[in-house]
Amino acid sequence: MMDKKKDETLEESENGVPMSADASPETEGTTAQPTEEERAEKNAACIASGDFEGFDDELQARREAVAREQKAEEDKALPPDENALLEVRHLKMYFPLKKSLGGKVKVWLRAVDDISFTLKAGETLGIVGESGCGKTTMGRAILKLYKPTGGQIFFGGKDIAPYKSSGMRPLRTQMQIIFQDPYSSLPPRSTVGGILSEPVRVHNIVPKEKTKEYVLDVMDQCGLRDYYFERYPHEFSGGQRQRICIARALSVNPKLVVCDEPVSALDVSIQAQIINLLKRLQQQRGLTYVFISHDLSVVKHISDRIGVMYLGSMVEFGNKKDIFSHPMHPYTQALFSAVPNPNPDVKMDRIVLKGDIPSPANPPKGCKFHTRCPKCMEICKHVAPVYKEYEPGHFVACHCYPQEEA
Amino acid sequence: MAEEKKNRHYLTGKEVRAIAKENAKITRAFEKKKKRKAAESEFLSSMKDPKNILEVEDLHTYFFTDQGVVKAVNGVSFDIPQGSTVGVVGESGCGKSVTSMSIMQLLQGPAGQIYSGSMRFKSYDFKRDGKGNPIPIWDDDEEGRPQYDEVKDRKGNAKLDKEGKPILERRQKRDEYGTLLYEMEEKVFDIAKMPTKEMYRLRGRQIAMIFQEPMTSLNPVFTIGNQLDEVTLLHFPGSTKEDAKRRSIEMLNLVGIAMPERVYKSYPHELSGGMRQRVMISMALAGDPRLIIADEPTTALDVTIQAQILDLLRDLKTRINGSILLITHDLGIIAEMADYVVVMYAGRIIERGTASEIFHHPMHPYTIGLQKSKPTMDSESESLFNIPGNVPNPIDMPDYCYFRERCSGCIKACFGEYPPMIQVGPTHFVACHLYDKENK
Repeated sequence: MMDKKKDETLEESENGVPMSADASPETEGTTAQPTEEERAEKNAACIASGDFEGFDDELQARREAVAREQKAEEDKALPPDENALLEVRHLKMYFPLKKSLGGKVKVWLRAVDDISFTLKAGETLGIVGESGCGKTTMGRAILKLYKPTGGQIFFGGKDIAPYKSSGMRPLRTQMQIIFQDPYSSLPPRSTVGGILSEPVRVHNIVPKEKTKEYVLDVMDQCGLRDYYFERYPHEFSGGQRQRICIARALSVNPKLVVCDEPVSALDVSIQAQIINLLKRLQQQRGLTYVFISHDLSVVKHISDRIGVMYLGSMVEFGNKKDIFSHPMHPYTQALFSAVPNPNPDVKMDRIVLKGDIPSPANPPKGCKFHTRCPKCMEICKHVAPVYKEYEPGHFVACHCYPQEEA
Repeated sequence: MAEEKKNRHYLTGKEVRAIAKENAKITRAFEKKKKRKAAESEFLSSMKDPKNILEVEDLHTYFFTDQGVVKAVNGVSFDIPQGSTVGVVGESGCGKSVTSMSIMQLLQGPAGQIYSGSMRFKSYDFKRDGKGNPIPIWDDDEEGRPQYDEVKDRKGNAKLDKEGKPILERRQKRDEYGTLLYEMEEKVFDIAKMPTKEMYRLRGRQIAMIFQEPMTSLNPVFTIGNQLDEVTLLHFPGSTKEDAKRRSIEMLNLVGIAMPERVYKSYPHELSGGMRQRVMISMALAGDPRLIIADEPTTALDVTIQAQILDLLRDLKTRINGSILLITHDLGIIAEMADYVVVMYAGRIIERGTASEIFHHPMHPYTIGLQKSKPTMDSESESLFNIPGNVPNPIDMPDYCYFRERCSGCIKACFGEYPPMIQVGPTHFVACHLYDKENK
């Protein structure tokens, strides 16, 4: 198994960088092989006939990449959606894995690859997917905690993707994050009061002399007693710590909060407390959440919109109702059926996916999901499906549905 | 009140030293007892119900810490019938893992000790002669004449004695995997009384364990094959390296690994989480155990991989005719896998019964709350039910019902002592004053 992987990685490195912009078709045309145009024609014929004998995967992949680039360029000119608080267009976040001697990157890890969505103010977007699918990376890239490789992020109508960290600073009061592990995301040497008042002080949220009063008020809203002010994080249980993290995020009055698996490390009964708290705060303050989780039942409970991610791409996106009443993508269907049902009498017909999630450094050709898909067809192995709107607000990328150009 | 609370949370150095001294005295006695040489008769026992494979009765496991005694398991009793799956469910820190560790005698000493109680386990082990060697089953011909094979050296040539004649060896029966067979017998051991050395007979061979974190429970510096072979070499006397390899590959096949030869040669870091957990399961199966303890086998895995592993466990249980003790905090997994359910809270069992009893007629307010607080795929409710508050401090537990402060259905009797286990059905027990007939 490992040897094969290695071989494929080598192949990949010969291809060079993922974006095909600097792949040169001219040099290939000089050899005795058929020209690029001929091969492209053959590919088109293959797709039309459904017979993939002699299909040129590399060319197809390159063409798809070019088309995606063009689409991204075209979309750049479009004005931002006025109703949306957050609009993400063709967001890409690549990490260099391997560099050649000259410092040129040979292998990229495509953690987030071409993701677009819009989110209205006051709504919750739930992001689900397996570990390693890039959901956390996406959350952090939205907040510019990583510098995105490409794409646009419109926050309140302004594209923040090219902003430098100094430019982001005033925006930090408007966008905050709650981390997964409340045990490691609080500084052990500061008191709760210190942790909560620092962002208030730094961003000048309230006059200096009113800081304590203000922090106590935020603590009260998050269900923390006032005498916790002098205590240290280690004195608290996981649930209380997560409340402190939430209070810290809310102390600067943000509009957007990215919740990165906020309840995964907590027990079931404490989970319910935190979820209820998040919901209550959303109603009181009109917050917008990007809620990242691998637990589908939690996501279903809290979200208005849901995005399903697989290997760095969004495979399905839509309203909660649409997605849960009729999931369209086979991966979504499999994910839903894998959730254990707390009723011993119901024996479900479970779709069990074979194998593991492939490495994002070397995703499969064609549709990324084809290696595990129960409905895999021949075309899925060669051609990437188009991410398309099939119902109002319901996007899917799958060959099971008509693929004509929109 | 605040002053009192402070005192309870922060001990002075003097107090800590006094407690440590006291603890050392107690734990030393326990450690001595574990290291003693004991005749088998000392820990032989008999089952109450011959259908059961494990009977845990009034188990107390304490941790003697410098802050005080933590009663991690405080009077737990349950049975595992042969061929069934028993699920233990509870929040973190409720003592479910400590229960399983007690069964394996794997508690972190000297602090963790099995304080009292008994765990009777029906083992099916080699019959041994006076010297402690297992008695082989010979592969004789139909008329009962012993058969002999030549002993071969590493290159496959026959070994010769001093006179130049080939050395002969009586042929022993082998099973389908090529493992040597011995005469077997059934014995009931009380694990709580067994010295650590005697536990080697049970661990891995009779009771196997699948740990929570497949990432950390495999040794990173040995190949999978090396680690798997060890089980066979240790537990099946007389087996050679070739036997072990054959068996290991067979086991990897059994858990659905596609290329067992390749996995056999690889190191743990080369495998994904799901694969590693499969290897862990195959390792547990290699000893041919009668009881598998699965301690949160899928917590570290993704939903899709979790579904694969659960499918595998269910399939294997019927194939090897074993029993499973499944420990998890996920009610969904319990509902799917378990025949019997034990609900634990703060070191005690608060409810136990069959899966359908627990899920369709939960009685203890905690069980009800736990089920309501889990968002399900079908529910449409706006806000989740939540159990207020936290689990009480494990040091100095109150003498009344541990759930009283978080309970919504408190009655007068709850302010009295801890409720006894009340039988509400033939297999359904609950520890709650609400169901005590005297209180109605």
